[in-house]
Amino acid sequence: MLIYLPIAELPVNMFLIFGMGAAVGFLSGLFGVGGGFLLTPLLIFSGIPPAVAVASTTAQVVASSFSAALTYWRRRLIDFKLAGVLVVAGVIGSSIGVTIFTLLRRSGQLDLIISVCYVTFLGLVGGLMLTESLRAIIDARRGRPAPLRRPGQHGWMHRLPFKMRFKRSRLYVSVVPILVIGIGIGILGSLLGIGGGFILVPALIYILRVPTSVVVGTSLIQMIGTMAVATLLQAANNHSVDGVLALILMVGGVIGAQFGARLGARLGGEQLRAMLALLVLAVGIRFLVNLVTTPDELFSLATLAGDAR
Amino acid sequence: MRAFACAIVAAAVLAACLAAPARAERLVVAASTDHVRISSSFTGTSLAVFGAIEPDTGSVDRALYEVVVVVRGPDETLVTRRKDRVAGIWLNRAARTFADMPSFYAVSASRPLDEIADAATLRRYEIGFSHLDFGLTDRGDDSPEEVAFRAAFVRLKEDAGLYRETPFGVTFPGTAVFQSNIELPANVPVGSYRVSVFLFRDGAMLTTNGVDFSIAKSGFEQFTFTLAKTNGIVYGLICVALALLTGWLAGVLFRRD
Repeated sequence: MLIYLPIAELPVNMFLIFGMGAAVGFLSGLFGVGGGFLLTPLLIFSGIPPAVAVASTTAQVVASSFSAALTYWRRRLIDFKLAGVLVVAGVIGSSIGVTIFTLLRRSGQLDLIISVCYVTFLGLVGGLMLTESLRAIIDARRGRPAPLRRPGQHGWMHRLPFKMRFKRSRLYVSVVPILVIGIGIGILGSLLGIGGGFILVPALIYILRVPTSVVVGTSLIQMIGTMAVATLLQAANNHSVDGVLALILMVGGVIGAQFGARLGARLGGEQLRAMLALLVLAVGIRFLVNLVTTPDELFSLATLAGDAR
Repeated sequence: MRAFACAIVAAAVLAACLAAPARAERLVVAASTDHVRISSSFTGTSLAVFGAIEPDTGSVDRALYEVVVVVRGPDETLVTRRKDRVAGIWLNRAARTFADMPSFYAVSASRPLDEIADAATLRRYEIGFSHLDFGLTDRGDDSPEEVAFRAAFVRLKEDAGLYRETPFGVTFPGTAVFQSNIELPANVPVGSYRVSVFLFRDGAMLTTNGVDFSIAKSGFEQFTFTLAKTNGIVYGLICVALALLTGWLAGVLFRRD
């Protein structure tokens, strides 16, 4: 069934978009990530203008993060103080990100930067996750115990000023690295239309040493706050949020996520992480191939504001 | 329904031109609609253009009339960019800005354009892709580089279904009555459109006439689009509220613990 998208200004097959939302939702439920990094590229590759794809996925991430966060909230697995600091930083970051987005659109380099960022970050994160989870799997097979994490072994972090106590996470750390992480994720999130969970969760665990029990719930709160503001800014500055597209994606996404989460509960953590790493790497490689292979059409049309035509 | 409307229009046009006394050729033009609405189920439509030629009573019938129908959408300024390989990566480098180009441009003719009139005449009325006015910067500059950009612009517009040239797209159901169907694709730009009809004989443009119509989003599409463009913050707030509501609903409906 074809439905006309009022902002993208083209008709799309409603079931195709719904299916994409559900498939990505399934994977995000399975792996416990937002799935924006899969959804935005899928939309772009299926012909939605990149600006609309990024901005509409931003709204979708709010919905999927909120439904997931409810579960963590009921189980009291959220550090609201830490999440608050992260949201403040994320909002600053997403304002910067949306401004960069607007400038890049005008100069015609938005698609390039989106692709380069995807290649860099997905390649980096996917590669790290893959090697780490493979090592863990091999260690487990050989019967070696997983190395214990010892908090307090990060000397330089403790010398930074503006320390703050986070009771829920049992942390006493400087807010500087928290702000840097939050701003960075905010910029990336609004620029690429991703929640950034797959970067934020490892960053919180490995850099800040946040306990794994509260890390997912806390990062979900950060994503809701940051992406809600990013949606507002995209709507106000770039007029590129397609409400109809976003709604179809949201409904598909939250339904798919339920089934994904059920399957995910039955699979082993390390196997899941290796699979997610492969998926992340595959998307990154897809963007790299697009960048280096000779395109069929060298020319492109756009309005002065940067809307693809 | 449409065929019926068209028949009425054609009859009215014929009656009008038969009734009026005339010296030179006259052209009466009508379109099947003056307002195209884009709703959520819009997947394109077609526009029928009708007209009648009232021959010059004084002249002897020498050659056949030729008719060209040109439909132009609202003007827009577009940047055409070309990718070049830099350090192994393809990125946008050179660009040309073409100001005030028609966003939609369909030419239907009773014969191939070059058989109807010479290039200078066609250029004067901007009939045909190769006779479009690409703005001040382009006049007289026919270097391969400039020609490549103009050709790419037309090709991309053609690929998008927004530029079309149809020789033999105008038919004559009667000796002095002509008809042409213009396809408006799903991605047709909104705005005001102009249908211009040109009457040629022996390579000379005898007379021209036109009719306007508009394309607009209707109902929900119109409301959403206007709100998004004029009141972005309110629209953004609605989108965020919608997202939170959907997320909350899903969280409640699928609650497992």
